[in-house]
Amino acid sequence: MASGNMKDIKRRVKSVESTMQITKAMELVASSKLRKAKKRAEEARPFFEAQYELMCRIAGETEGFSTVFTRRREVKNRLFIVIAGDRGMAGGYNTNIIKLVAAAHEKDKVKPKIIAIGKKAVDYYNKHGYEVVAEYPGLAETIKTADAADISMMALDMFTEGVVDEIQIFFTQFTSALVQTATQMGIIPVNPPVGTAVPVNKAGTTYDPSPEAVFNRVIPRLVASIILCAVNESYASEQGARRTAMENATDNAEEMIGTLSLLYNRARQEKITNELNEIVSGANAL
Amino acid sequence: MTPFRLRILTPEGVAFDGEAEMITVRTTVGDKGILARHEPYVAALGIGQAKVRIDGETRIAAVSSGSIEVSKDVTTLLAQSFEWADEIDLQRAEKAQQMAEENIERYKNDKRRLDIAEYKLKRAINRINVASLKK
Repeated sequence: MASGNMKDIKRRVKSVESTMQITKAMELVASSKLRKAKKRAEEARPFFEAQYELMCRIAGETEGFSTVFTRRREVKNRLFIVIAGDRGMAGGYNTNIIKLVAAAHEKDKVKPKIIAIGKKAVDYYNKHGYEVVAEYPGLAETIKTADAADISMMALDMFTEGVVDEIQIFFTQFTSALVQTATQMGIIPVNPPVGTAVPVNKAGTTYDPSPEAVFNRVIPRLVASIILCAVNESYASEQGARRTAMENATDNAEEMIGTLSLLYNRARQEKITNELNEIVSGANAL
Repeated sequence: MTPFRLRILTPEGVAFDGEAEMITVRTTVGDKGILARHEPYVAALGIGQAKVRIDGETRIAAVSSGSIEVSKDVTTLLAQSFEWADEIDLQRAEKAQQMAEENIERYKNDKRRLDIAEYKLKRAINRINVASLKK
């Protein structure tokens, strides 16, 4: 009986070892991808900030500023842009964002329309009876400015045509390799801090042709760069979450191997003691 | 000519940050040249070329939609894409043109997709034009 037990333990150690090899490899891949993703997220940030400042400047400098993108209307239909991962094995990364989306429209009578970025989001919202207006599986790793611009153009068209009355984006903010926060952000209607920073057109800025016209041209770019930044942040978060999850898995595997080897050694010792006992008692009997 | 600080930013990073003497851009209402000590000014950009004069030498670039903003101490050009003429990948632009033309044919009845395809076609043609200028 003891030898059968030993064989079992040995087999389990082997299986845990091979799992550990996989988790270890995934951890390494995730950390190298994380490094790249962090760099990309940082590169996009100055553009986004400059664009945001410009939007605030236009709205802040102009008296009685109001355009189609800033006016609020009664919200009947909402459009959610949801960014999740393309793969699992990333701890709570995918579930957290899906949970946040569910909480955000809990009280709504109609389900929101969805633009799904990432295979996990695409699968989930198609399966659960949402109206998925566009899906982008496998986009996050290689997203280009032009991709973000396409999504932005489509979303804004839906808003100006009156198909939706509000646009929100759900992404995972990357704070550090250990901390990632699922985040909800309203995009449209825009809420610029009207008349704050600069007193009404004190700078005497000339707008070509008018503040509103420039603003409406800037908005699609701004939304595109919000989407781009959100995707970059989410992708970095995904890699960070995966790295942590895989690190934990590797640690757990190591611990399991430790416990199992202890059991194995105990079983082995027991077997030897039993054999000795048998020999001794056999010798005594003679 | 007196130089002024010019910043050119795209979502891919900083394309230029330094002293320039003049910049000419295509705004939505026409071409506009900016020299040092220009009044505060903001305009949206269409698809077109930008000419930047640095140290007496004029460089040409392809710009696709963005904005130009002149403040007291810095002029900022924000563009969805900004490529110097000698950086343009002509083959890629030609491929993009071909694909956009195909898409225009395919999405004749889908206004949204048609808009995107037409926009892409304009961009591709602009890049090809700029690339053939090369200073």
